[in-house]
Amino acid sequence: MTTGTTRAAPLWDVPVRLFHGLLVALIAFSWWSGENHEMEWHRTSGYAILALVVFRLFWGVAGGRTARFARFVRGPRAVIAYVRGGAGAPPGHNPLGGWSVVAMLATVAAMVTAGLFAVDVDGLESGPLADYVTFDQGRMAAEWHGAIFNVLLALIALHVAAVLVYLVRGRNLIGAMIHGRRVVAEGEAVEPLGASWWRALLGVAIAGAAAWAVSRGFRF
Amino acid sequence: MTMMRNTIRAALVLATLTAAAPPPQQVVAARHAGFKKMGAAMKALGDQLKSDAPAKPAMVAAAQTIATTARQQAALFPAGTGPGAGVKTEALPAIWTNRAAFDAQMKALIAESGKLVAVTNGGDVTAIRAQMKATGATCAACHRQFRAED
Repeated sequence: MTTGTTRAAPLWDVPVRLFHGLLVALIAFSWWSGENHEMEWHRTSGYAILALVVFRLFWGVAGGRTARFARFVRGPRAVIAYVRGGAGAPPGHNPLGGWSVVAMLATVAAMVTAGLFAVDVDGLESGPLADYVTFDQGRMAAEWHGAIFNVLLALIALHVAAVLVYLVRGRNLIGAMIHGRRVVAEGEAVEPLGASWWRALLGVAIAGAAAWAVSRGFRF
Repeated sequence: MTMMRNTIRAALVLATLTAAAPPPQQVVAARHAGFKKMGAAMKALGDQLKSDAPAKPAMVAAAQTIATTARQQAALFPAGTGPGAGVKTEALPAIWTNRAAFDAQMKALIAESGKLVAVTNGGDVTAIRAQMKATGATCAACHRQFRAED
C-alpha cells in the first residue's frame, strides 16, 4: 500500500443500517397515519416498529462489533472524557452518541408500549392489549402515547442537529449509515465486524414472533 | 288519561328546560360524562368482539348503554353551552350555527345505536361487528364536523 491511498473498512453491518432506515421510514409513516386517523395502518406500522425494537435489542448482544451495547454504552467518565476531546473512541458510536442511541431506543419502546394499551376518545379504536385495561386507563395510555412522541421528536431533532454539527466540522456520519464503510487511517489494524447471517435471521424470527403475538393480544 | 299524563310530562320537561335552565357548566359536564360513558361502552363491546368467546349479555348491555345515552345526549346541546359561554368544551360553534345538520347527525346516531341493540340481541358476531362499525361511523362523521381536534 502506497502513501496517500485511503482504505475503507466496514463500520456498520447490514442489519444496523436496515434497522435505521426502516425505523426512520416507519416513524414517519406512523406519524402520518396517526394524524390522518388511518388506524389500521397505524397499528400495523406500530407492530413493525415493535419488531424493529425487539430485533435491535437482540442485535445489541448478538450483532456485529459496532452494534453491541457492551461496545458503545459507556460510563459517565468515558462520556466526559469524550466531550472534553480527550480519549479517542474506537470506531462506532462514540460514548456520547451511544447514550443518544439508548435514549431514542428506550423512547420508541415506551411509545410503542403505551400505544398497545391506548384507546381513542370514542372507544372505537384501540391497541391490541387495550382490552386488558379499563377505558380510563386506555385513555391515559393514549395521552402518554402522544406525550412520549414529543419527547421522541425532541430526541430526533437533537440527533439530526448533532449529525449536522459533525458534518460542518468535516465529519460525514451520514454516508457511513448508508454504505456502512469508514475510511481507515494509515497502518491502522482493521477488525472485522463479525456480524453473522444466521444470527440476524434468528433475530428477525424472534422479533417477528414477538410482534405477531402482541398484535394478537396474546390470543392464539 | 294517557294523553293527560303525556301533557303533564311534556309540561314538566318544558319547565325544566326553560324556567330552571341549569348553568352551562352543568350541561357541559353532563354531556361530557354521557359521551365518556358511550366511549367506555363502545370499548366494552369491542373488547368482547376481540375475545374468542364474546359474551352476549355484556354486548347487549353495552349496546343498550350506547343507545340510551345517545337519546339523552341530543337534549344536552341547548343554546348558550358552546365555547362562547365561558366553559371548557370541545363542542364547535357550528353546532349552533348549523343546527339542522347537527340534529341530523344526532338522529343518525340514535338510529344506528338502536339498530346496534337489535343486532346484539340477535347474537350474530359478524353482524354485531358490522353494526358497531356503522354506529362508530356516525360518531366519527359528527366529530369531524362538530368537535374540535384535541
